[in-house]
Amino acid sequence: MAAAVKVDRLEKTLGPNKVLRGISLEAHAGEIFGLLGPNGAGKTTTLRIICTLLAPDAGSVDVLGFDTRTAPQEVRRRVGVVTAEIGVYPRLSARENIAYFAELSGLIRVQPGRADEMDGDLDRKVDAVLERLDMGSFANQRAESLSSGQRQKVAIARAIVHDPPVLMFDEPTSNLDVLASREIREFMVESKGRGKCVIFSTHVMHDAERLCDRVTIIHHGRVVADGATADVRRGYQDLEDSFLALVESAK
Amino acid sequence: MRDVLIVFRKELREILRDRRTLTAIGLAVVATPTILFVISQVSVRSATQTYKVGYSGQIPAGLDVLFTATGLRLERVDDPAAAAKEQVDIGLAFSASGVDEYYDPTRQSAQITDIRVQTILGRYDAAKIAATLQEKGLDPSILDPLPLRSHPLSSPTQAASNAFLSFFLPYILITMSLTGGLSAALDSSAGERERKTLESLLLTPAPRGQLLIGKILAVSTISLLAAVASIASMLIALSQISFGSGSGQDQHVALSPLAAGVMLWLAVLLAASFSSLTIALGTLARNFRQGQAYATPLYFITIFPASIVLFIPDFNPGLAYYLIPILNAVLVLRDAIVHNSVAWTSLAVTSLSLILTGALCFYAALRLFTREALLVRS
Repeated sequence: MAAAVKVDRLEKTLGPNKVLRGISLEAHAGEIFGLLGPNGAGKTTTLRIICTLLAPDAGSVDVLGFDTRTAPQEVRRRVGVVTAEIGVYPRLSARENIAYFAELSGLIRVQPGRADEMDGDLDRKVDAVLERLDMGSFANQRAESLSSGQRQKVAIARAIVHDPPVLMFDEPTSNLDVLASREIREFMVESKGRGKCVIFSTHVMHDAERLCDRVTIIHHGRVVADGATADVRRGYQDLEDSFLALVESAK
Repeated sequence: MRDVLIVFRKELREILRDRRTLTAIGLAVVATPTILFVISQVSVRSATQTYKVGYSGQIPAGLDVLFTATGLRLERVDDPAAAAKEQVDIGLAFSASGVDEYYDPTRQSAQITDIRVQTILGRYDAAKIAATLQEKGLDPSILDPLPLRSHPLSSPTQAASNAFLSFFLPYILITMSLTGGLSAALDSSAGERERKTLESLLLTPAPRGQLLIGKILAVSTISLLAAVASIASMLIALSQISFGSGSGQDQHVALSPLAAGVMLWLAVLLAASFSSLTIALGTLARNFRQGQAYATPLYFITIFPASIVLFIPDFNPGLAYYLIPILNAVLVLRDAIVHNSVAWTSLAVTSLSLILTGALCFYAALRLFTREALLVRS
C-alpha cells in the first residue's frame, strides 16, 4: 500500500539547534501512526514540516503525491492538524469559527437549486461536523464563553471540516481533562475507521500503545525505533519500558 | 481575491464586536465636539469678560469712560505693582509724566487686559493730539501722511476659522487614522499569536499574502471610518458653535468641498499606510501588550507635523518637503483649508509618497508574516 505521508531523511535547524537529523517515516491511510519521543525530540518540528508550516533544510516530504516544497497549498488542502493549543476567535461563535476555516479551505456556500455543487456546500459540511462532534448545544455561543473541552471540539472541527484525508494530532490531550481526552481518542479511532491516515504525536506511551497501529520513536532528531506497535514493545512489559530502554540506549 | 474577502469579512465582524475599538472610536467622536464646545465657551467668555484695572493717581478726564466702554473696571489701589500680582489683572500708576503699567505676562487675563489698555491709550493719545492740533488751526491728518486703507480679500472671521481648522483637522485626521484602527491591527496580528490561532490560520490553503491583505483592508476600513466620523462630528459641532469676539458677527466654521475632498483622499492613503505599519509592528510582537509598546512611538508622529502648522503658520516649504510622509498630508490639507486651493503637483507628490510608504509598510508586513520565526517564536 502506498504511503499517505512519506518523510525522507528530513533535516532542520532552528536557530542554533539542529532539531532533525535525517528523520524518515511513512504513514498510511486507515491507520493510526504514532510519532513518539520525549519533549524536544523533534516531533512538533516534523509535523510542522509535513503540514508546510516550516520548510526542511534537507530531505523531502510527500503527502498523497504532493511535495511540500513544490505544492504546499495542495498539501494543506489534504491535511488537518489538531494541536494542544486550542486557540479560537473569542468574538466569533463556534459555528462562525468553523465556517471561517471551511471557507479558507475552499468550501463554498452553494445557491439553492445548485445540487451539482452540494459536495462543496459549506453550511452542510459545517452542520455535519457540528453533529459529528455533538456540538449542537453550543454551536451559536461565542467562543469566549466556551469551556476548554468545548474549545477543543471547535479546534478539531475546524481541522476536519474540509474532510482532509490526513489528520495530525500533536499532543492533543495535554491540556484536557479525562473526559475530553477520551473523546479525542475516540475521535481518532473513528477517523481511522473512515479510512483516514491519522498521525498521533505524543509522549504519553499508554495512549500510544492503546491507539497506534505503528509507531516511530525519535530522540534528539533521529529515529531510534519504528515498526508495528507490538514489534517495538516486544521483549518489554509495555511500550513505556520499551521507549525508556530505547531512549536510554540512544544517549 | 476570494480569500481576501473572506478574511476581510471575518476581521470586520470581529472588530465590530470588539468593545475596545468601538469605545475608542465612540469616545473620539463624542470628545471632539465636547472639547470644541468648551473652547468656544472659553473663547466667548474671554472676549466678553470684564477685567479689573487697579490704578493710582489722577485719571485724565474722559479716559475712565473709555475704560468702562472697553470692558475694563477701574479700582483705586494704593500700590498698582503689588495689586497686579493677584488683586487686579493689571496695575496703572498715573502721574504727570505719564502712566506706569504693571502686569504679570504669565497670566492670560493680564495679557488680554494689557492689549485693551494699549488700544485705549493709543486712541486717547490720538484724540488728544488731534484736538490740540485743531485748536492751533492745524489739520490732524498731517500726523498720518500715508493713511492705510485695508481691503481684506476674505472675511477675517473665515481666515480665523481656517487657521483653526488647518491645525485641528490634520491633527484629528492623522491621530484617528492611526489610533482608530490600532487596537484592531494589534488584535489581528499580535492577538492572533497570543490566542494561538495563527498556526491554524497559516495551515489553511489560503496564500499568506491574501490573508494579510484581508486584514489590512479591514483595519484600513475601521481607521478610515474613525477618522471620517471624528472629523464629521467636529464639523457638525463647529457649524453649531459660535466662536465669537463679542461683536455679534457670525463666526461659524465650515469646510470647503475642495478641502473635504482632499481630506477624504488623504484619509484613505493614511489609513492604508498606518494599517500596514501597525500590522507589521503587531506581527513582530508576541502579544497585544507588546504590540502596544511597539506602537507607542507612532503617537509622536501624529502631533509633530500638525504642530509645525500651529507654530509656523506661514511655513511654505519646497516640493521636496512633500515627499516626507505625514508632514506632506498636513501641508496639503492646510493649503486646501486656508487657501481653498490645491497645488496639484504637491498633491501628486504627496499621494506618491504616501502610496510608496504604504507599499513599503505592506512589504515589511508581508516579510514578517511569512517568516518561519513567526511560528517558532510563538
